[in-house]
Amino acid sequence: MRSAATAHHPDDSALARHRPVKLLLVDDDAANLLALEAILEPLHEELMLAQSGADALRLCLEHKFAAILLDVRMPDMDGFETAELIRSRKKSQLTPILFLTAYRSDEQLFRGYDLGAVDFLFKPIVPEVLQSKVSVFVGLSRAEQLLQSQAEELTRAEQRFRAVLEAAPDAMVITTESGVIELANSRTDVLFGYPREALIGRNVQSLIPKWEYVAAEPENGAGQHLAEVRLTGIRRDGSVFPAQITRSPFHCSGKWLVTTAIRDATDQVEAEHRIQRINAELEKRVEERTAALTYSNEALRQFAWAASHDLQEPIRTVLSYSQWLATSGPETPAENRQRMLAIIQHHAGRLHQLLNALRQYVQVSEWGAAESTQEKLVMVDCNAVLQQVVANLAGLIEESGAVIEWDPLPVVFGIEVLFVQLFQNLITNGIKYRSAKPPALRISAEKPADRWIFSVQDNGIGIDPKYSDYVFGVFRRLQRTGGTGMGLAICRAAAERLGGRIWIEESKPGMGSLFRFSISPRCE
Amino acid sequence: MSTNTIRIYLAEDNAADVWLIEESLRRRSIVFEIENFTTAAEGIEAVLRYGSTDAPVPDLMLLDYNLPGGHGGDILASAARNPHLSSVPKAVVTSFLQPEEITAVMQMGAACVITKPAGLDEFMAEVGGKVETLLAGRVGRTAAADSQSSSLKT
Repeated sequence: MRSAATAHHPDDSALARHRPVKLLLVDDDAANLLALEAILEPLHEELMLAQSGADALRLCLEHKFAAILLDVRMPDMDGFETAELIRSRKKSQLTPILFLTAYRSDEQLFRGYDLGAVDFLFKPIVPEVLQSKVSVFVGLSRAEQLLQSQAEELTRAEQRFRAVLEAAPDAMVITTESGVIELANSRTDVLFGYPREALIGRNVQSLIPKWEYVAAEPENGAGQHLAEVRLTGIRRDGSVFPAQITRSPFHCSGKWLVTTAIRDATDQVEAEHRIQRINAELEKRVEERTAALTYSNEALRQFAWAASHDLQEPIRTVLSYSQWLATSGPETPAENRQRMLAIIQHHAGRLHQLLNALRQYVQVSEWGAAESTQEKLVMVDCNAVLQQVVANLAGLIEESGAVIEWDPLPVVFGIEVLFVQLFQNLITNGIKYRSAKPPALRISAEKPADRWIFSVQDNGIGIDPKYSDYVFGVFRRLQRTGGTGMGLAICRAAAERLGGRIWIEESKPGMGSLFRFSISPRCE
Repeated sequence: MSTNTIRIYLAEDNAADVWLIEESLRRRSIVFEIENFTTAAEGIEAVLRYGSTDAPVPDLMLLDYNLPGGHGGDILASAARNPHLSSVPKAVVTSFLQPEEITAVMQMGAACVITKPAGLDEFMAEVGGKVETLLAGRVGRTAAADSQSSSLKT
């Protein structure tokens, strides 16, 4: 046995493009083999030679032949026996066999065709006939090879495509233009809760009711993405979710198909809502802050005006009267000079009093505190505060015969001096503006909701409801005599500093007043 | 009481200012009688009463701007509702007013705003001078026609 692989001509570029196919030549006569080889050499295929059936069988195990030329009459194992064995092997079951024989016997022909022969060639061999017959089989084999490699290529492409589809983070379906699903990846099963087989053939609109595809400009071809849209997806259990979808059409086998990628946008929608909420919250805070600043600016403006106006009065009086006293001649009665002096002293004293009240007001009001720092709150026992206030006012209480009672009061977090100011001013007012009856005051506290509310009830002259806001302004007095007009302004500043407010709950002239103030829920 | 006595309605809570105003009138030889109210409520009550009782209608109204329980503007508003006071010249007397407050009281019927200056001579000149002008206008007006009452406002 020898190989005739040298028959291959690699320099022949026209044929080099084709991979040579293998042809097996079997004859017990070496001279016949040489002759066959010579005839087939111009085909430039790979020729393999065998001098016995056994050799031929062995080669058939190792190679795939485009055709086998088999001499019928050989010693030991003749051509038919060899063919039978070749046929019995799966690998060579379909290999075309051409029998070479010197005898034209019908019996031989029948047997040969029975064994799967495709043709008979009669010796002496006519080269052109042999060449043309073998060429046909070579062509067939080559076509088969091509088909096979194309099929393999297709399989590989399909595998790659499947891998990409399955690895995609989104659910992806390929549908017809009208939405019938032809292909879906595993993310689609997971996202919608349907088994894969239930998805194929279903319309995508049963998953995304508003899915649609309108071929806008089909001539643009594949790769043209439609704008991303957010629609509603419906899972198998009927639950819905926001679905972010992208559609890209492509042309395939004369029709348009659409790839739709579907993403569950629940997280994204939540994030968007969160951002919206944060923005709204931010806007609200800016508005509140602006309102607070506006309020505080307006308060400051009023304060500055009132302060300049009300402080101006005693100064002006002191100045005018001291000049009058200085220029008054001997004709001025001594009694008048005494009165001028008294007025000067009174107004100088009043200026002192006003400035003290102002200092307290500034200390109590929020302008005294650093805006940015969180106020430091300490435990304040309101019972102890009241005891201190009563001690501070001992003289006034004794002189007026006032009775002051209080219920057990809470211990809160706050700023002690503010509670002292609140109670001291409210109690002082209750005593100072008393009716004919001896003053009686009752202090209590309750917590109807989230914050403490303190009550100070007096039995004094009362306040006309039309003044219920007026009295809390700076330098506001209802009576000519008495205080600085700052007491309730200080109370309001203190209550606001404690995160609450102060108001007159009930008051009628002659019936006493019920003042209430709240504090922040933070002062727990 | 002489017929030349000028009746003055004075809403003023500061007794020291009452005396200074009296002194400024005395120094101009004006014979006067003052009815002094020391809170806004008292002042308003009196204003509403004129005409319905025997209390004589004043010849001049001087109103301090800052009063316990309110301000001069409140009294002006009440006075505007009493027709018996329509021809009485009214002035707001104050140590300081902001421009918008001046506009407001003028619109409410004040003939002028008298500023209480610091210093005795200044006070005498300002208050005495303005009161004299107001009274002169009143005399002129009663001699002519009531309809010219607004000559001082413009």
